[in-house]
Amino acid sequence: MSSESSKKRKPKVIRSDGAPAEGKRNRSDTEQEGKYYSEEAEVDLRDPGRDYELYKYTCQELQRLMAEIQDLKSRGGKDMAIEIEERRIQSCVHFMTLKKLNRLAHIRLKKGRDQTHEAKQKVDAYHLQLQNLLYEVMHLQKEITKCLEFKSKHEEIDLVSLEEFYKEAPPDISKAEVTMGDPHQQTLARLDWELEQRKRLAEKYRECLSNKEKILKEIEVKKEYLSSLQPRLNSIMQASLPVQEYLFMPFDQAHKQYETARHLPPPLYVLFVQATAYGQACAHMKSSSQPPRQDKTLSVAIEGSVDEAKALFKPPEDSQDDESDSDAEEEQTTKRRRPTLGVQLDDKRKEMLKRHPLSVMLDLKCKDDSVLHLTFYYLMNLNIMTVKAKVTTATELITPISAGDLLSPDSVLSCLYPGDHGKKTPNPANQYQFDKVGILTLRDYVLDLGHPYLWVQKLGGLHFPKEQPQHTVIADHSLSASHMETTMKLLKTRVQSRLALHKQFASLEHGIVPVTSDCQYLFPAKVVSRLVKWVTIAHEDYMDLHFTKDIVEAGLAGDTNLYYMALVERGTAKLQAAVVLNPGYSSIPPIFQLCLNWKGEKTNSNDDNIRAMESEVNVCYKELCGPRPSHQLLTNQLQRLCVLLDVYLETESHDDSVEGPKEFPQEKMCLRLFRGPSRMKPFKYNHPQGFFSHR
Amino acid sequence: MERAAPLAVPLGQTEVFQALQRLHMTIFSQSVSPCGKFLAAGNNYGQIAIFSLSAALSSEAKEESKKPVVTFQAHDGPVYSMVSTDRHLLSAGDGEVKAWLWAEILKKGCKELWRRQPPYRTSLEVPEINALLLVPKENSLILAGGDCQLHTMDLETGTFTRALRGHTDYIHCLALRERSPEVLSGGEDGAVRLWDLRTVREVQTIEVYKHEECSRPHNGRWIGCLATDSDWMVCGGGPALTLWHLRSSTPTTIFPMRAPQKHVTFYQDLILSAGQGRCVNHWQLSGELKAQVPGSSPGLLSLSLNQQPAAPECKVLTVAGSSCRVDVFTNLGYRAFSLSF
Repeated sequence: MSSESSKKRKPKVIRSDGAPAEGKRNRSDTEQEGKYYSEEAEVDLRDPGRDYELYKYTCQELQRLMAEIQDLKSRGGKDMAIEIEERRIQSCVHFMTLKKLNRLAHIRLKKGRDQTHEAKQKVDAYHLQLQNLLYEVMHLQKEITKCLEFKSKHEEIDLVSLEEFYKEAPPDISKAEVTMGDPHQQTLARLDWELEQRKRLAEKYRECLSNKEKILKEIEVKKEYLSSLQPRLNSIMQASLPVQEYLFMPFDQAHKQYETARHLPPPLYVLFVQATAYGQACAHMKSSSQPPRQDKTLSVAIEGSVDEAKALFKPPEDSQDDESDSDAEEEQTTKRRRPTLGVQLDDKRKEMLKRHPLSVMLDLKCKDDSVLHLTFYYLMNLNIMTVKAKVTTATELITPISAGDLLSPDSVLSCLYPGDHGKKTPNPANQYQFDKVGILTLRDYVLDLGHPYLWVQKLGGLHFPKEQPQHTVIADHSLSASHMETTMKLLKTRVQSRLALHKQFASLEHGIVPVTSDCQYLFPAKVVSRLVKWVTIAHEDYMDLHFTKDIVEAGLAGDTNLYYMALVERGTAKLQAAVVLNPGYSSIPPIFQLCLNWKGEKTNSNDDNIRAMESEVNVCYKELCGPRPSHQLLTNQLQRLCVLLDVYLETESHDDSVEGPKEFPQEKMCLRLFRGPSRMKPFKYNHPQGFFSHR
Repeated sequence: MERAAPLAVPLGQTEVFQALQRLHMTIFSQSVSPCGKFLAAGNNYGQIAIFSLSAALSSEAKEESKKPVVTFQAHDGPVYSMVSTDRHLLSAGDGEVKAWLWAEILKKGCKELWRRQPPYRTSLEVPEINALLLVPKENSLILAGGDCQLHTMDLETGTFTRALRGHTDYIHCLALRERSPEVLSGGEDGAVRLWDLRTVREVQTIEVYKHEECSRPHNGRWIGCLATDSDWMVCGGGPALTLWHLRSSTPTTIFPMRAPQKHVTFYQDLILSAGQGRCVNHWQLSGELKAQVPGSSPGLLSLSLNQQPAAPECKVLTVAGSSCRVDVFTNLGYRAFSLSF
């Protein structure tokens, strides 16, 4: 390369020499290689400093010669020409020298360049080498740190302590003499020992596994034996059923019931347990005093589909799937039905009012063999319980028209406790739920769902606070237990009083006041006034009557009461009596309001004696209760009313100015006709003597 | 106005019984305490309730101040009549008269100071006492009622001094003539009799029903109320309410009122009467009906004018009858409010 570059460079130099030198160079190229080399070698031999001196000298000489030539020329003369020629030759020589020097300078330059290049390459090579070395150093350093950071696995292994190791390990492993001094060897030995131990344990583990396998097999065999025993036991149970029945020991049935009871929702379960317990307690009390009887006063049963109840308690992911499925379906269906928003709301309402598939049946038997059937439901989404009631009697009853409401499921249990009419939801939280789906009040649904009486909630152990609604109401056993007995007693009295009323109504409708023999002493033997009409009237009609205003204003005419109109007649006198029958009969008496049509219309507002008659039946009702339980009260009150009318009419002062005999001759024995500032008539009947006096 | 709005809350057994009792209550008698601040009212259940008039009339009166301060069972039967002396409240009804100390009456468990029973002829029924009348001049009490006699009782000794016989049926009402020691009595037999207490004799008899102007046979002949002022006497009941001139025994004014009257009294130049019907009637002596002021009871039995000089701020008319309310009229023309048992 260096030669090439020099070759390239050389023509340039030659070119700078001018075109005439070209031929010569070609010649020298071919024929004088050695000379060329000699010139190059000459360069090495010559001192550049001296060349520089020479160059300076030559230039000075040239300048001088030029100046002389000029001088000579300016002087002009013939002899001068030779001198000029001579001088020209001299300057030519000098030019040659200059040319030579120039060539030499070029060669030197080229040489210098070559040298520099060479040196540079060397430096590069060294630099590369240095880099490589540095890299290697770094790599090695990294390796070293890696090595330093290395952690052996054995460090994680929890080895036994040193003392233990030397104590327990056999000497061929511990090699105390070697390992005592060398921690490395020591660790190795310890690891060996560990390995040994682990091997042993693995062995043991395998042994245990096989042992377990063996035992499992044994269990399997035994299980098979047991399951083969089940059908045989079943058949024995089956065979024993008739014996159980024969001996009145329904173990099996009870067991089944308990099984079903497990699927009851908590409130119904509480009710079931408490009712069963109460029923058994009653049976025991009975059986202690009487020979055991098969018919219990209280029997409890569970109705409804257990499978459906089970389905309610599926694992949550299943139900979620179902839900999403049903959601999808619902979406589809709703898409189809979208135009009718009402239907959609209806569905939501239905969902909200859904009851639990299981219900608890309570049969409460009264003394006269009539039975109150109560079916308790649980509304899952509302968290309340409802009840439906039905009364069956031992003998078929002829239902009087006016007794229609007495035993109707809707009203038979109304107001068992004061104010508990079962038309409103007892759970305050429900109102918010209703608002969402547009239910105004539960009242419209009670016929279908049953009544959510407060006592029902209490029997189910549900207690709702009055003020704040709260969703976490837990079924409480103690609450249920504390209410069970009173409620059952109330229920019994209610049914009995209703049945008693039922019977009384049947006679009353035919105008007969069915006074029983044990109440006969309350009335005189001869009662002339007769009941001619006994009909039921609507609440609104009662409110509209002009003579019932006081009762309405006193708040005694609620819409849970039953209303009747009785008509008592004697001759031309007609006594209307509007009767409020509180559902709590007979602890709460029926209330009478009177209106007498005889010589004008007389009511409590214009006749003190009518007022007194009302007071006799309404306030002094306790005398009329008869033997406990005072179910005959209504009859007695009506009979009393007839007696009062007799007294009223017979003691009415005779108007002397009117001709003819009195319409109602005085037949009752009275001590005095009037008494006191308000001129009361003698309404009080004194039993054995049979006379009337003032209260 | 004062009537309770129909209650929404259904009632239990005791509440119903109490409501019925209140509904059938009749207040027969009233009496104002000597201090003029309290009013006693007796009802048909034998209870006496003491109302504080001053509390009910005060500017900061609440609903509770219209309820009785204290109620106690005074008699077994109705309390038909009550009067107040300067220390005692005397109540009577079922044949006995009982005295209560006004000073102690407001305390709980107040016992009667004494009780007296007039000498009755034996009878199956104990006769009632319909009217009590104080005779301040001789410090005695006149009792009249079911046994058709007037009994005078010396309040000092508690002994029954006289018995005035003459009525043929029971006596409704009594009235005292201010000047002479003479007593008027009206009864079921339709006669008003004037008795002289000194001679223990019947001085004069007016058989009202026999006078055609005032007789009303369909209502009966009984005299239910009586009041007197100097020579004038007003009486009513079965016969029409009539103003009589005693000396001449002639009816001077017959008041046009169809309903039988149960209480009548003179007030300044007016006659106030009440009876069957809601209204208190204000009559001029000429027979003109000056005003009819309705009360809250369907029938009225007693009027009481509180004219005790000790409590001028409590000067009111109180009216009671066949309800559990005592209407209070602060001025005669308007029912201000009702006290209630």
